Amino acid sequence: MSFRIFEYNGSAIVAMVGKNCFAIASDRRLGVQLQTIGTDFQKIFKIHDKLYVGLAGLATDAQTLHQRLVFRHKLYQLREERDMKPETFASLVSAILYEKRFGPYFTQPVIAGLGEDDQPFICTMDSIGAKELAKDFVVAGTASESLYGACESMYKPDMEPEELFETISQALQASVDRDCLSGWGGHVLLVTPTEVRESTLKGRMD
Amino acid sequence: MSRRYDSRTTIFSPEGRLYQVEYAMEAIGNAGSAIGVLSKDGVVLIGEKKVTSKLLQTSKATEKMYKIDDHVACVVAGIMSDANILINTARVAAQRYTFSYQEPMPVEQLVQSLCDTKQGYTQFGGLRPFGVSFLFAGWDKNYGFQLYASDPSGNYQGWKAAAIGANNQAAQSMLKQDYKDDITREEAVELALKVLSKTMDSTSLTSEKLELAEVFLSPTGEVKYQVRSSESLSELLVKAGVTQPAAEAS
Repeated sequence: MSFRIFEYNGSAIVAMVGKNCFAIASDRRLGVQLQTIGTDFQKIFKIHDKLYVGLAGLATDAQTLHQRLVFRHKLYQLREERDMKPETFASLVSAILYEKRFGPYFTQPVIAGLGEDDQPFICTMDSIGAKELAKDFVVAGTASESLYGACESMYKPDMEPEELFETISQALQASVDRDCLSGWGGHVLLVTPTEVRESTLKGRMD
Repeated sequence: MSRRYDSRTTIFSPEGRLYQVEYAMEAIGNAGSAIGVLSKDGVVLIGEKKVTSKLLQTSKATEKMYKIDDHVACVVAGIMSDANILINTARVAAQRYTFSYQEPMPVEQLVQSLCDTKQGYTQFGGLRPFGVSFLFAGWDKNYGFQLYASDPSGNYQGWKAAAIGANNQAAQSMLKQDYKDDITREEAVELALKVLSKTMDSTSLTSEKLELAEVFLSPTGEVKYQVRSSESLSELLVKAGVTQPAAEAS
């Protein structure tokens, strides 16, 4: 059997759009194949108050990629004296990934943010930066197949923040229970134009 | 006599001087001045804007003040186009450091890296030196608040209060006289305004001719860089006794 680098550490990441808000959630497991190493691992990173990126795949590449994104965003912020729009950021991530076309970062990013007029934006891409835009939800990681199913059946358009939080949490929990490589609780960020609610979920801790 | 050693930056004159570097410093002597004052709870930077026209369209909030990283800011005296190059180098250096070590770059190290670049242009020939002096204000966890001044030769030193640009000698000696240790940030603002108003060539100091920025710690312990709005500047000027209250205008 071939060595599957994207499934080495295990992850589940999902982002959903609601009415003038979005939520992004991840599991908290860090594993080495079937052995669990950590249960409080960060997979969602803040870029600025209204922009977050979740990085699924090989954990070490995810961390390095995040550091590079912070580097580039910081220089942009200083030069432009403003935060980056989510669409712009998605193109930046895409460009950084494609730079390494023949030796890629083994990660699949999920980008979620509030843009101009607080319009939510979500997007994901593969490890070489091919963007996949969506109006409803995006998923990534080893639990992505079960996440697709859960999201397809649970998602409704224009949810209010409270309902969105409940939906994304249920979708995440249901999906990680069907995946051996992700789980050990969840991490949910609910972003509205005025506030960010951050919660950790408990699930099946086994 | 000096002509023979003027054309190249890298040649010493028989008296042991580098004329191009000295001319660069001369150029800064005509630029709008800037003052920095260190206090126990922050660093204050102020700058005099030389040309102010109502027709000028400004794209940035400030003209002479630049944020280098979350914990360092600077004010420029000299040729702005030269300064832009150096500021960009400094910003990249600060982010490179953070990328490598996952912590903010120590202030002195940042100043030194910039001054190494400046120095290079006084030794490796064919080019002219950067016609820029900087005042850096910053905070780091090892040495707390710091204020540095640098000149075109690549020299830098740390100060409690420093002045660069036009009339910097007069300003410097006034600062020397009026600076006290354990000064608060509020008092530092007042001192800087007072010194600038007395050493400036124009008669009256108004908020349009002025830029003021502060580096300090927020109650949560984060380093903050804040530029004063022109309204709050006008208030400060009245408070410092530099200008009369607006009452006379009505």
